[in-house]
Parts: sequence; structure tokens; C-alpha cells
Amino acid sequence: MSDARLWLAGVLAFPVLVIAASCLRIDVERLRRLAVASAIAMLLATLAAPLSPALRGFALRSAALSSMPGGEAIVRIDTLSAALLPFAAGLWLLTVAVTPRAALDRRGLRRTAVATLLTFASFLTESAVVLLVLSAASVWTFLSALDDPAHQYQRRVVAVYLGVSTLLFALGVALLTAPGVQNTVLEAAAMWCIVAAALVRKGIVPFHAWVPEVFDHGRLGPAILFNAPQVGAYMTVVLIVPRASPEMLRVIALLALGTAVYGAALALVQTSARRACGYLFMSQSALVMAGLDCTSVSALAGGLLVWLSAGLAFAGLARCVLVLEARRGRLDLSTYHGGYERMPVLAVTFLAMGLACTGFPGTLGFVGEELLVDGAVDVFPVMGFAVVIASALTGLAVLRMYFSLFCGRAEAQGHAGLRLGLRPREAWTFVALVVALVGFGVVPRPLVDSRFAASDEILRLRQLRIVESRR
Amino acid sequence: MVGMMPSIPLTVLVLVGVGSPALLFAVLGGASLVNRPSPERSTGPLAAGAMTVSCVALVLAFVVYGTTATDAQLLSYGAWSTLHEGGIAIEFLVDRLSLGFAALSTAIAGVVSAFSNRYLHRESGYNRYFALLALFVTGMLLVALAGNIAVLFIGWELVGLSSALLVAFFHERPAPPANAFRVFSVYRISDAAMLSAAVLLRHSAGTGSLALLFGGSVESSAALTGANATIIAVLLIVAVAGKSALLPFSSWLPRAMEGPTPSSAVYYGSLSIHAGCFLLLRSAPLLEHAPAARLLAGALGAATSVFAAMTTRVQTDVKSSLAYASLTQVGIIVVEIAIGWYTLAFVHLAGHASFRLLQFLSAPNVLHDLHGIEAAMGDRPVSGGSSLERLIPDRLRHRLFLIALERGFLDSILDRFFVDPFMRVARQLSRFDGWLCDAVLPAEPQAAVPGGDDQDE
Repeated sequence: MSDARLWLAGVLAFPVLVIAASCLRIDVERLRRLAVASAIAMLLATLAAPLSPALRGFALRSAALSSMPGGEAIVRIDTLSAALLPFAAGLWLLTVAVTPRAALDRRGLRRTAVATLLTFASFLTESAVVLLVLSAASVWTFLSALDDPAHQYQRRVVAVYLGVSTLLFALGVALLTAPGVQNTVLEAAAMWCIVAAALVRKGIVPFHAWVPEVFDHGRLGPAILFNAPQVGAYMTVVLIVPRASPEMLRVIALLALGTAVYGAALALVQTSARRACGYLFMSQSALVMAGLDCTSVSALAGGLLVWLSAGLAFAGLARCVLVLEARRGRLDLSTYHGGYERMPVLAVTFLAMGLACTGFPGTLGFVGEELLVDGAVDVFPVMGFAVVIASALTGLAVLRMYFSLFCGRAEAQGHAGLRLGLRPREAWTFVALVVALVGFGVVPRPLVDSRFAASDEILRLRQLRIVESRR
Repeated sequence: MVGMMPSIPLTVLVLVGVGSPALLFAVLGGASLVNRPSPERSTGPLAAGAMTVSCVALVLAFVVYGTTATDAQLLSYGAWSTLHEGGIAIEFLVDRLSLGFAALSTAIAGVVSAFSNRYLHRESGYNRYFALLALFVTGMLLVALAGNIAVLFIGWELVGLSSALLVAFFHERPAPPANAFRVFSVYRISDAAMLSAAVLLRHSAGTGSLALLFGGSVESSAALTGANATIIAVLLIVAVAGKSALLPFSSWLPRAMEGPTPSSAVYYGSLSIHAGCFLLLRSAPLLEHAPAARLLAGALGAATSVFAAMTTRVQTDVKSSLAYASLTQVGIIVVEIAIGWYTLAFVHLAGHASFRLLQFLSAPNVLHDLHGIEAAMGDRPVSGGSSLERLIPDRLRHRLFLIALERGFLDSILDRFFVDPFMRVARQLSRFDGWLCDAVLPAEPQAAVPGGDDQDE
């Protein structure tokens, strides 16, 4: 067995271990500790991917699932996935470390491990068929999280939207992998199906209504874990960008930019913290999509960076809301809740992650958005102005949330003794996330270089396919 | 012509000057982040030390520059990427203007830091205050020394954020965060205008370098002329108007007085409110190519000055009165820049920033003395003397008084024509989203399940 295979088996063993342990009769808190330890180990192990050039050349190819000459990589580690693997592991760690005890039972822990495994496997493949299977499985996992009586309506909404998305994806993949479709109308139809599937999955307007609904009235934890990795963005990079026509990319970019502004504007007027999170996610994830669908190297690299920064920052921000809800119940943004003095770490980390989410200077998000705007201006000038408006509005939305959730009301004397602060595990996880987001914002070069290398690779692949199709 | 070969000592001095407050913010912010705020006995000296080091380094840089160089120099501290050229880089443009303003900023910040050390003694947010002050000084220095539009924007945003958070400093009352949000909203308009100008700069000139664009070089003239120059200059003027509270954005100024007096002094009496004037000075070569924008700047400055002079006379609290008095001078400085009296404008800026800082900081003592005099006299001292108001007809004077008392009705105009329509449309769209879900799948009436959201993972 090669080093890369051994490494891959070792990394995948961590979530598998948690899944296996969740089937045994061990105490939930011990299971949680095992999950946290596994997530930390997985995160540390996945950091080898961006650091080790030897791992990045690994690929298992097969012609069985593709009509392309030479087949496709069923499993591969390249410059794109090298940064996405620690990203997926980090999201898992964040989930198991900070989700309140009452909100994470044995099934929940198992589900987080399964979801991480599926996301991780998705980031490892470039095969449309494998991606389809993994995508369908992750939708099924998400639906299973909504199977309690309180969330039946949200479950049906998600089933309709993501069911249609999965069907479109399946239709597109079926057409794309059929022999002899290259350069025919069928290939264009297949691409449109995949594009539509990605747009629904990413919550791009007008296919977005399920996102605020599931964030607001569904279950926030699973919604974060399902949405934050942005598998729809991965579908776009691997399947759409290399094959799509410029017109197709233009349509996606315009819809994504509209969504970025729309989501930001609506996040600003929400009275529910959860719903505001949903719109913030829509806005930021749409920016990622807009960057990915722009054929400039800088814009693409910017989109890839925003993907990482917005994914992590948004997940952290939404988890902060979850932690606050565990202490205060549902959070209404039309009033001030106070409590900064008693939860200073949560308040500071909330603000820092919110600002990182909106691309504020000094955070990784700023670097991504600057590159996105910088690269897109020549190719697609309107993108620059849309990013400016979206960024201004999301910044306002985040500060409004911060003021509402942590400022404006002195604590009642009678409640002064209540313990509201974070547990050490929660505090250190949030602090580590903020340090990562700010650290890469201040010293972004390694990550920027790696994303430039990935975007070069993606655009080279696109050029190669264009040349092939002309032949 | 801009000299591109920086001398080494200058590079180091500028780095130390900008790095000291940034390091102070990292130390104080990091301590707050892990809930181990540094005690007063170390925060005060740390802040004083950082501001002193920064000020000394920048004064030395000013001296070194003045004795060794005649042209503006572009100091580069590396780029974000080694793989792609022409990307975003950390660059500082040093000349007499930038180094002078930077040195002035740190000197003023040092004075405020020393004053705050006693003023905020035993205040619960003592550490937070100094962390935000350090962030503000870092932002101001980046604005002053920015060599490209990305660095300028970073500084611009840092100044805005620290300002909003300091307005909300006494956050246990609802009014400070509410007012801070209004202040930040105007700052975001200013930021958006600045970023739009940056986008347009890159699109039309292919560069974000301030050395080329604002350096008054042949390249800048060729790169930016006609409509492009006018649009970019107008966007910059909008950015300046937002940050410096020029009309029609002046209404945030009294709201910003919720913060502690030293922060009001350094932001709205002294530095932040002049940041816009500095940006206009910096972009003077661009304004030369855009006469319409110059005219607009002049008109805005004059109108703001008259409006602020009226409004300051009817304020009932000393901080608001001083803030509007500052605005009067800021308007005049903008007019001077629009006319082209750049040296006078800079001298006016530096003098006014220092004088107003002193006024703000001594205001609490003056009030204290006044109360003592009132108590001794048993009555309020009579304010007398002739004034220009008496030349204005009674009816007009009454109307102007009402306008000044309502601060030009600017808040209600903004609310009625911008904020309310935006909120109304956004709320309707939000309702539309709910309807969109129902259209796909009609909701069944169901009772709320208690604790339904608890099992969240």
C-alpha cells in the first residue's frame, strides 16, 4: 500500500471510528469526547495534504464511470482538494466541540461523522457519478436530521427542493456520461441540468426559499453542517467550470451576484437571528459561486478563498447563535439582549467571525473578496459593484446582530450569579477559529499561493477541454 | 516623478511607526479574546509606550525624508502572492504630506492615550477602550501612508469599525449601540463609495497604486481624464462626506457623542473627522482633472460649514456643540482644498485638529468650573456681546433656529427617503420568500412543539 493510500485510510478511519462507537452502548459524553479527539486528529492528519507534495499527486482512475478517454479520477488529491480536506475536518471539529450538550445526542454525533465522511469523500473525487451518489447520500443524511414531528414541514420543503436538485443532477450526469454526447445539444442540456442542480443546492435566487426556512424553523445545527462545506460550489468547480460555455458561466455569475445582494439586504431586516444567519449564508455562498464562475485566475482564486473563509466564519457565527440559544432560547433581533460582560469571549469571537464572514480587513475573507473584485473587474465589471454592495450590507447585518445579542441591557442583579460563559472546550474552539481566520488574513501568502495554483489548474483544464471540443 | 527606490532606514522607521499600534492592538485584543484582559497597571504604560515609539519613529521618518529625499517614495512590504504579479501588495507612499499627517496622528493619539489612562480609571471597558484606540491609530496610519487603494481601504474600514465600537462603548444602555449602528450605517455608505472608486480605478487605469494615480505624474494624467476622473472623484467625495460628516451625512455626528469623551475628542474633534480632508488632499491631482467634482466638493464644504455654524449655536450639550464647531472648520478646509490652497488646507487641518482636541479634553473641566461659578453667583453668567445674528430679520432667524434645532431635519429626510423604503422593500421580499415556500408546499397548521429546536444536531 502506498503512503497516500495509507494516509487516506488513516484519515477516513477517524469518522468511521466515531460511527462505530456510536452503535455501542457507551456514554454520550464519552462518545462526544471521542468525537472531539477524532476530529482533532483528523484535522491534524489532513494538514499533511497541503504540506506534502507527495500526497498531492495521488489519484485512482477508472474508465468504468466515464465516457472520457482515460477515465476519471474516482479518488484524487490535488491542489484544490488539499485545502478542502482540512476545511471539512475543521467543520466537524467545530460541530462536535461547541454544539451544546442538550443538542447533540448519540444519533446526532453519528450523523455529524457520516456527514463529514460524505463531504470529505466528495472533496476527493472528480467523478460525476461518485459525486452524485455522495450528494444524494448527504441530502438523505440531512433529511434524517429533520425526522422529528416538530420539523415535518421543513423536512418536506427540503425534500422537494433538494430532491429536485438531486434528480436534475442525476439527469445531467446520465446525459453527460452517455457515449457520444460530446459537442452535442445533449451535452449542453446535461450541463444546464447540473447547473440548475448546483443553483438549487447553493440556494441561489430564485431557488433559495428552502434556505431561510430551514435555518429559521428547521434545525440549525444540521443546516450548518450541510451548508457550510458548500458541496454545490465543489460541483461547480469540478463539473461546471471546466465544461460550461461562457454564456452559461455569465448566467450563473449574474444570478449569484443578485443573490449576494438580495441575501445581504434581507439579512439586515430579519428579526430572527436564525433567519438572519440563513440570509447571510445565502449571500456569502453566492459570492463564492460568482467568483468560481468568472474565468479570471485572480477572481477564481478569490472565490476559492472566500469559500474557505466564509464557510468557516459562517459556521462559527451560526454555532455562536446556537450556543447563545442554549442559554437564552430563541433570539429576537428586534431587541437588545445584553450580556457582553458575562460572555466576553463569545461576544468577541462572534464579532470577529461575523466580520470575517463579511470580508472585513485583517481577516481571510478580505483577502478573498479583494482578489475576487481585483480579478473580476476586467472580465465582469458589474461584479465589483455587486460585491461592494453585498459586503456593505452584510457588514451592517453582522454589526446589528452583535449589538442586539450582546449589548444594550444591563444584567438583572438577581441573575448576576448565573453561569453564562463558555465552557473551556467551546471557548478554545472559537478562539482557535478566530486565530486561524485572522492569522490567514494577516499572513495570507501560503493560502493565496495554494489557491492561485488551484485556479491555474482549473482554468488549464478548462482550456484543454475547449481545445478538445474544437477538434 | 515618483522615486521607486526607498532608503532602508525610512522603510524600517515607517514599519516601526505603523507596527507599534498594530502590535498593541494584537496584545490587548488577544488578551481580551482569551478572557485575560491585561490589568490597568500594564495596559496604560503599554499604550503610552506603543504610541511614543510610533510617534518618535514617524517624526524621525519625517526628518530622514526631509533631509534625504525630494520625491515621494513607494515603500513595499511584500505582496499577498508570489505566484501572480500585479496582485495586491502592502505598500506605503511616503512624502511630506503623508509622513506629516501620520506623525500628527500618533502625537494626538499619544496625548489622548495619556489622558484616557486617568479618565477611564476603573472603567469596566478600560482594556477594550485601549484595544480599540490602538486599532483606530493603526487604521489612521494606514490611511495616511497608503501606497495603494487596498491599503487605504483597510485603514478606512478599521477607522470606521473602531469608531462604531467606541460609540457603543457604554453598551449596557440601549442608546449607545443604537446610535453606533446609525454611525456605522453611514460609514458603510462611505466604505462602499470608496470601494466603488477602487473598482473603477482598477478598471479604467489598470492599477490601484496611489503613487501612479495621485502622484501627479504624467502616467496619472494619461490614465485618468474626463468622465472617468470625474466619476472616481465624485465617489471619493461621497466617501469623504460620509467619514467627515459633510452634508447630507452630517446627522450621525451628534449620535457619535455617546462614546467616552477622549474617544469623541480623537475621532470627531481631531483625527477621524479630518481623515476625509486628508483623502481629498491626497487626491488633489485627481481633482485637478475633474473640475465638476472640485466644484461639488467646494459646494458641499461651504454648505456644511454654514449648516454646522448655525447648528453648533443651539446645541444643549458641550460635546455636540464642539462636534458641530469642528464640522464648521472641516467644511472650510474642504473649500480650501477645492480652491486649490493645499498648503493652507494642511496647516488649517493640523492646527484645527490640535486645537479642537484640547477643547474636547478640557470641556469636562470647563463645565465643572462653570458649575462652580454658577453656584457662587446663584445664577447663570450672562452671555453677552453683539453678534451677527442680530442682523438677520426676526422671522428668518426664527426659521433658521428651528432648522438648526432639528439639525437640518437630516435624520428624518434620510429615514423617509432612504431607510424606510429600503426596509419596506426588504421586508416585503422576506415575506415573499415565505410565500415562495408555501407556494411549493402549503404549510399545515400545527401546534408549536415545545423544545422542538433543542435536539439540534
